[in-house]
Amino acid sequence: MRETWVVGAATNRFGKMAETGREAASKVALAAIESAGMEPKDIEQTFVSNAFGVAERQAHLGPLINTALGIPEAPSCTIESACSSSSASLHEAYVHVAGGFSDAVLVVGVEKLSHLDTLAATSYFAMGADYAFETRNGATFPGLYATLASAYQKRFGTPPEEFGAVAVKNHANAAMNPHAHFQKPISMATYLASPVIASPLRLYDCCPFSDGASAVVVASRERYPSPPSEPLVIRASTRSGSVADLHDRATLTGLPATRTAAAKAYRQAGVEPGQIDFAEVHDCFTVAEVMALEDLGFFSPGTAGAATVEGVTAHDGRFPVNPSGGLKAKGHPISATGAAQVVEIFEQFNGRAGGRQVPKTGLALAHNVGATGGSCSVHIFGRR
Amino acid sequence: MGDESTTEGHSIEEYRRGYEQERRLRGFRSQCGFTTVTWGLLCPQCGKRDLAEADLVGTGRVAAFSVQQVPSDEFLNDVPYAYVVVDLDGGGRITGWMPSVRSEAELTIGDRVRFVESYKSGVHFERDSKDMP
Repeated sequence: MRETWVVGAATNRFGKMAETGREAASKVALAAIESAGMEPKDIEQTFVSNAFGVAERQAHLGPLINTALGIPEAPSCTIESACSSSSASLHEAYVHVAGGFSDAVLVVGVEKLSHLDTLAATSYFAMGADYAFETRNGATFPGLYATLASAYQKRFGTPPEEFGAVAVKNHANAAMNPHAHFQKPISMATYLASPVIASPLRLYDCCPFSDGASAVVVASRERYPSPPSEPLVIRASTRSGSVADLHDRATLTGLPATRTAAAKAYRQAGVEPGQIDFAEVHDCFTVAEVMALEDLGFFSPGTAGAATVEGVTAHDGRFPVNPSGGLKAKGHPISATGAAQVVEIFEQFNGRAGGRQVPKTGLALAHNVGATGGSCSVHIFGRR
Repeated sequence: MGDESTTEGHSIEEYRRGYEQERRLRGFRSQCGFTTVTWGLLCPQCGKRDLAEADLVGTGRVAAFSVQQVPSDEFLNDVPYAYVVVDLDGGGRITGWMPSVRSEAELTIGDRVRFVESYKSGVHFERDSKDMP
């Protein structure tokens, strides 16, 4: 396997896009390529993620993006893995480059849902679940994570303030991220006063419906030895799956796919969880961040919420988590999310994260979940 | 095709017809002990080709739940309601909904529930009368 790194990265402001997903994806792709010191003609392959392109009446986005970039002959394909779509694309890019099939691959994730009303968007999000055995029984995306939250609270006696601490932290981080959907901090009182969406989860436990686009360029060190920015060496790129339906799982207080993807990633990178300096984890709901921190081995079961209350995971804490603001407050444009996590790590490694800059950037982990954990990606990045 | 279409052996459609029209919860058991209602060809736990059809018991206890305030389009006129994961007596877990539960305070993990005939699609549970105060 060849040494492979992320040499360029870009995102737009998450929230509500006036332009189409196609336009936004093409613009961030060009920005990512330029940040890598490359020209579009250097791109040999494009992996696109756009899970809900049908909401814009558009599929087969790759050729449209490549055409907009002046490289219509470059091959492309769309990779869908619900909320982990663009981290799945990143994994495929890694396989292509590390395996010697390409020297420069573009990964683009994009989603536009803001033109839908809440009912339609909720219905689209629910498509990541099992329609016949979950959604038909009334499951929604918040409802499924809320069900996990109810089991988690029952097992560990978790008070709402521990979930609230995740929301307060991530909104504070997002307020320092010019690309974040939400730019205002919230207080614990605001969190506790917010309406229940799906018990026990309140409004501020939930990520927003966001539009957004993100892109990264993956290249071989052999062909691109001197990128203009500090590259992210891909020390591990792993994916895992589990039974999709919550009712078929042995546990309701964690995600098995996270545990298996993480175990593979630590083995591939040759590191232990305690060596990771900071992480971007999948916090579509506050309980998801709490479970992720435990499933990834950073905290023992039932303790991540209390650690969050104590400030351990703040951007200037002992182990920063989601300095970008996470899905929770930076926003969650489904297929742009996995790539956006990498954009944040790229900016952190290059010391360009402003007020949310974390103290140590030697090793970072990105964790991205598809729906309720039927699929999961874990990437570990280091320095050259 | 319409009403003339048929399915050979077990199918998602047979499962739906079972709970909607026949008051049956059709599931599958593997010799490894795994029991599920989810359609499949091999056991997701042991990987063997030994899934045998079984009628599951329609009573059990709530393993986890959430009361929904913001529905998807198919439940637009039904909120609030509880989405429940139920550990069935005799083995197997299933998800369903409880239209009679309208707030978090009305249900507790561990409560006994039973599968009942529904007025719309979805596996409908209500409190088991044996558990009523």
